[in-house]
Amino acid sequence: MNNMSPEVALHRISPELRPLLCSVVRNGRVGLDSTNCLRVTDLKTGCTSLTAGPCCDRFKLHIPYAGQTLKWDIIFNARYPALPPDFIFGEDTEFLPEPSELPHLVQWDAGNPECLLQLVKELIQQYHLYQCQRLRESSRLLFEYDSLLEDPSYSRNMEIYAGLKNSWTGEFSARFLLKLPVDFSNIPVYLLKDTALDPGEDVALLSVSFEDAEATQVFPKLYLSPSIEHALGGSSALHIPAFPSGGCLIDYVPQVCQLLTNKVQYVIQGYHKRREYIAAFLSHFGMGVVEYDAEGFTKLTLLLMWKDFCFLVHVDLPLYFPRDQPTLTFQSVYHFTSSGQLYSQVQTSYPYSPRWDGNEMAKRAKVYFKNFIPQFQEGAFANGKL
Amino acid sequence: MIGPFTGLFHAARDPPRTQSAFMSQNTLRRKSVPATARDSGIDRDVFIMAASISGYTFSSVCYHSANSNSDHEGFLLGEVRQEETVSISDAQISSSEFVQIVEIHNHEPCAQLFSFYDYAGKINEENLNNVLKDRRKNVIGWYRFRRNTQQQMSFREQIIHKQLTQLLGVPDLVFLLFSFISTANSSTHALEYVLFRPNRSRYNQRIQLSIPNLGNTSQQEYKVSSVPNTSLNYAKVIKEHGAEFFDKDGVMKDIRTIFQVYGALQDKVQAVCGDVEQSERVKEKLQEDVNQVKQQIALRKRKTEEDRRLQESQIVDSTSTPEVSTKPSETSFMSRITFQTPSAPERPSTSPNPPSYTDLLSQGDNLLSSSSTPTNAALLPRPQAVGSPGHPTPVSLATGLSLGMPLSLGANPVNTPITPYLGNGDGSSSDSLDRQAAGQEDDDEDEDSSEYENLVSEGARLPLVPASALAQGRPAALGPDGDARGSQTT
Repeated sequence: MNNMSPEVALHRISPELRPLLCSVVRNGRVGLDSTNCLRVTDLKTGCTSLTAGPCCDRFKLHIPYAGQTLKWDIIFNARYPALPPDFIFGEDTEFLPEPSELPHLVQWDAGNPECLLQLVKELIQQYHLYQCQRLRESSRLLFEYDSLLEDPSYSRNMEIYAGLKNSWTGEFSARFLLKLPVDFSNIPVYLLKDTALDPGEDVALLSVSFEDAEATQVFPKLYLSPSIEHALGGSSALHIPAFPSGGCLIDYVPQVCQLLTNKVQYVIQGYHKRREYIAAFLSHFGMGVVEYDAEGFTKLTLLLMWKDFCFLVHVDLPLYFPRDQPTLTFQSVYHFTSSGQLYSQVQTSYPYSPRWDGNEMAKRAKVYFKNFIPQFQEGAFANGKL
Repeated sequence: MIGPFTGLFHAARDPPRTQSAFMSQNTLRRKSVPATARDSGIDRDVFIMAASISGYTFSSVCYHSANSNSDHEGFLLGEVRQEETVSISDAQISSSEFVQIVEIHNHEPCAQLFSFYDYAGKINEENLNNVLKDRRKNVIGWYRFRRNTQQQMSFREQIIHKQLTQLLGVPDLVFLLFSFISTANSSTHALEYVLFRPNRSRYNQRIQLSIPNLGNTSQQEYKVSSVPNTSLNYAKVIKEHGAEFFDKDGVMKDIRTIFQVYGALQDKVQAVCGDVEQSERVKEKLQEDVNQVKQQIALRKRKTEEDRRLQESQIVDSTSTPEVSTKPSETSFMSRITFQTPSAPERPSTSPNPPSYTDLLSQGDNLLSSSSTPTNAALLPRPQAVGSPGHPTPVSLATGLSLGMPLSLGANPVNTPITPYLGNGDGSSSDSLDRQAAGQEDDDEDEDSSEYENLVSEGARLPLVPASALAQGRPAALGPDGDARGSQTT
């Protein structure tokens, strides 16, 4: 019953209800975390067991919200597909939205395939309001919420889950999930292409968990959509600062935003820098260029000759170029190592400064080649065989 | 008597009080109060709520539900009442406990979903009245049936419940949720039902619903429900055909017939008792005779032995050889012989009761009228059953006596007339009962354990047996049908 693929669910549901479910499982993205789509499990029927054919009309919908997953039961009646559904809100027994706030329920139109999805969205909104109400139990957290609410860049993109009070310790916990207003649009496309997953929308979410009402234990966490994560160099590359004790979200969140923005800027800059670098090398070495990465500008291969000694130079430009130095790999075209590879030497430390521009780097690189090649040649003759 | 649930429109009636008997140190006083909207149970601290549904209502709801091809809903009709139990004990002056009892008598199924509410869950009062018609004031709750869902109130159900509470004016409206779960291969189906009272705090919402007489009735009593029977047809038919089953006193005719059979059986048993008693007496007499003869034999033996000893001692004296060693043995032997005698008469190995019969016989001989049957002593108890044909209870002698129970002789006034038992042996009982009833009131009142002592002290008297009885003497053997075989004269 679990991990049911959408196709299976659609196959088993009653035909009249199929369009409604279709829009939910195929396109349904609700809430901030749009990387996880809505999942359907526990498909059951409300008809007698003698009823033939696909007749399932009730199921559990898994909705990601504020870092949790809400499991709501949705109950239709296959024999009366025109009627609106009923809901059981899982463990949130006290959540009772006002029907007048749910226009898609009041004017339920079974002929509109989007109706159920819209209704679920409206319910999520009401749920969010309900959770915000629950924040009133803690004045500290309520303050956090109100302060964020005032800032328009955050107020629209907030999901709050106010946890159940722990009856043993009387503790109250809450989780804020915020969508950070960082612009990812300038990230070069190539960086976003390499992921195997469906990239979806590029989004950065900051989740801050308050384990107690006095905000003494706060655990922030940053979630990035896979493409962004890849573009920024993987999850290890990003470290957000710890939440300052006694600090508040309205100060902390912009900090994180800034950090992220800087990183993005850096990446964008790096791209341009690399391009500049490659362009400079192209112009300096001209015909010596064998190949280069014309999309990401991360690699460059040169074939050079010095005193009748031909050699290859592979240049690997790191992600955080020019902060990080490019790697130079010298490779002989004549000599082999014992393992059958071409004899090569890697050089990671050579005269370099990130403040040079592309031209300067190309010039200096040339100088370095001239100095280094005799050494390399000797090494090649000594260690390699023809 | 408890009135039906009254809504806003009627005032509460003054309830009757029932007093139960004084039991140990607690006095219980039950006061039944019909629950009205004004007298909301929430004001008083109602601790416990108990609910019950009659078996046929439950099965009817299940039937309607199981046959519907979708979710199903309807209303529950019945009554709610509060019971206050006041208990007074030595520990505290008084403590009262309130119990609210919900009884579901009937149900009103809705023909379709959304019949009285719209998509937003708002109730249309007109439609509601169309569904309920004139039974609106009897509504105490509503129910819903849905397959393969959780046992939890849903969003729309909660909204509707709130509105119904308001509209119907029932503060503690209950909600019965049926859920039908089937296994994947349809091999097992389970019908689960939970009764909620959602208007209470959320921690105490489920109430146990009991269905009387559903269960192992061989170990429990069959409970009659308090559902009022308002069927006119039923009353009419019963009135018409009742005469075939009930006699003029309102007692069922079958009961009388059964009691007649019972009476006949009792008569037979009485007769057999008489025979057994007779034969026991005869046996006792014979036993006594045997003992007497044994005594005489022993006496003669002793005499001959003594004579022999005397002769021997004379001979020994003449030879003058004192044998000291043998003397103690002789004396002991003699003492043994002498000690033996007082132990006679031997008690027979039969029960210690026979002396009572002989005693009674001696008494009875004095008191008997000219009847030739000395079989009055062993009169059986004749328990009086309810509804038996109006004969008075033969108390006293009958209750005091059984076959094995001795009678206290000392307490018995000798002059009390004891009418003899003249059983016909053919089953008619009325005459014998009448006879037994006369004047036997005071015989068993002084009965106590001292009667046994009386017996022991008086056991030695052995009256003479009438020659006629001895001549017949053969102990009666009881046959399988309880009749005493062997010749007997009555």
